[in-house]
Amino acid sequence: MTTTLFHGAPATCSLDALTLHAGGRADGRVLCSDLSLQFAPGERWVVLGPNGAGKSTLIAALAGLSAPHAGAVHIDGVPIARARAQALAQRRSWCPQFWLDPFAAAAWETVACAIEATHPELSADDTQRAAREWLAQFDMGVLADNDVRALSGGERQRVALATAFAQRAPLVLLDEPTAHLDWAHQVLLRDVLFDWSAAGGTIVTAVHDINLAWTIATHALLFNGRGRVRWGTREDILTAELLSNAYDIDISVRNEDGARWFRVELGAAENRR
Amino acid sequence: MRLSAPPLARASMVAALCVPAAMLIALTSGTSGWGWPQSDILWLLRFPRAMAAFGVGAALALGGAVIQLVTRNPLGEPHVLGITGGASVGALAALMLLPMGTRFAAEGGAILGAMLAMTLVFTLSWRALGRGLSPVTQPGTVTVLLIGMMLSAASSALVAILLAIASEQQLRGLLFWLLGDLNGASLWWPVWVAAIVALLMVLPRAHELDWLARGDAWAWTLGVPVAQRRRHALAAASLAIGLAVATAGAVGFVGLVAPHVVRLCGLRSARLLMPFSALFGGAFLVVADTVARTVVAPSQLPVGVVSACVGVPLFVWLLLRQRSAR
Repeated sequence: MTTTLFHGAPATCSLDALTLHAGGRADGRVLCSDLSLQFAPGERWVVLGPNGAGKSTLIAALAGLSAPHAGAVHIDGVPIARARAQALAQRRSWCPQFWLDPFAAAAWETVACAIEATHPELSADDTQRAAREWLAQFDMGVLADNDVRALSGGERQRVALATAFAQRAPLVLLDEPTAHLDWAHQVLLRDVLFDWSAAGGTIVTAVHDINLAWTIATHALLFNGRGRVRWGTREDILTAELLSNAYDIDISVRNEDGARWFRVELGAAENRR
Repeated sequence: MRLSAPPLARASMVAALCVPAAMLIALTSGTSGWGWPQSDILWLLRFPRAMAAFGVGAALALGGAVIQLVTRNPLGEPHVLGITGGASVGALAALMLLPMGTRFAAEGGAILGAMLAMTLVFTLSWRALGRGLSPVTQPGTVTVLLIGMMLSAASSALVAILLAIASEQQLRGLLFWLLGDLNGASLWWPVWVAAIVALLMVLPRAHELDWLARGDAWAWTLGVPVAQRRRHALAAASLAIGLAVATAGAVGFVGLVAPHVVRLCGLRSARLLMPFSALFGGAFLVVADTVARTVVAPSQLPVGVVSACVGVPLFVWLLLRQRSAR
């Protein structure tokens, strides 16, 4: 592994009176309105909320992929709409929820794309070596030569994560990175995220597993699915009251040595609506 | 399934041997058997025809490779964008409207028709092409392909109309053009120029086409101006395809299969895929055309028929070999 995890100074990312509509349409459902906050270096944010509440839309807006209905996203103080795509590639990486693999490609070749994009000065051999190192980091070393189309869901997910981090941009935006990961690899991802933020990197990730969210996050942003958003430290946001309200089911919290455990009474009559 | 590293050295060697070999076969075989021909036959007949065959094959294969990459569709081929249809309409219209015997009427008309068809495809799919960025909307690549197919359908209708209203005298010329073989290829170098220019247009940014094939939004986050790059690549492809169709008519198959053959040989990245597809397509069509003009001598087959007859078994064999290796 190289000594510095990412390139350049840590990135600051802030939302300025951001309003997002579902599907990016003016007549779409309001996902959040007038949202202003800052994702600071060293922070790990989880984005939570029910299906369709706006998690992916927010992540895409942070990446600069979709224009917000109102307001702006700033990275390093520059409005993202006015930044050049090439400059942005050095400052933030985006790991999408779905991947397209229309043609055969080895796993390392996919990771190499991201390295080539941000480090065009590297030789082909160095690029390949770096790609294989990142794959090994995500426990994909032995599968580096395999066809991405023949990988399992979790393996493909780890290739995607290796690709996102290989870009070596300080701000990493992940959309459901743990959807296909088993527990061992969720722990592996957590360790990578901790190292990243310890070095001054910023993480914003959408997740569904609230227990995992508690484990990996320093801060949380919670969509309630009705256009309201709460954010703050994980202790303030990951509470029984706020979560139950957002997900519209009863979520109970157990405190244990400063850690919180969340569970849903799936069998309870009041939860079956 | 493990994928081997690109066999670049071996592929270069095979190409360096096979391309001259194909040309040699084309130059030495004729209706009267094998052997080195008289200088007139060589320089006035066989050499221009072999060169035209190579240029057309290379241009179509390159166009197919580019279209497959930027539409993210393994079934992409040169004729899917409607350029061939437009070129056919243009060539027929030029043959009908211009006085008989006008030099390069068909070629000029075909180029004009191809450009018109391309402009239509671009205009109609403009919004869809820029829309792929947002992960919440459908990518525009499907729209491009559908519009291309609609244009092809409209072109066949127009061709039918032109054939219906053509005079008895004109009909003969029109049908010869539509059958599209290399017999009438009068100029070999324009398609070479087009193929080389197209290759020079796409090669410097070839790696970005690889990223594009993995998703518009992701490619954009890597710094690729997605819509611009796709338009640029499609323009290069249409230049090559337009000139190829103007030279030899709608030669099928080579544009679809050449990129797949090259990919199955392990040359997966766009920067290798595109030049080697062109080399393979060119050499392949030279051999196919040689067979087309000798196998049923003294009459000739359209080269497209031969390219399918030779290419289908070759492709199926490569495909099945790949399967069993898994």
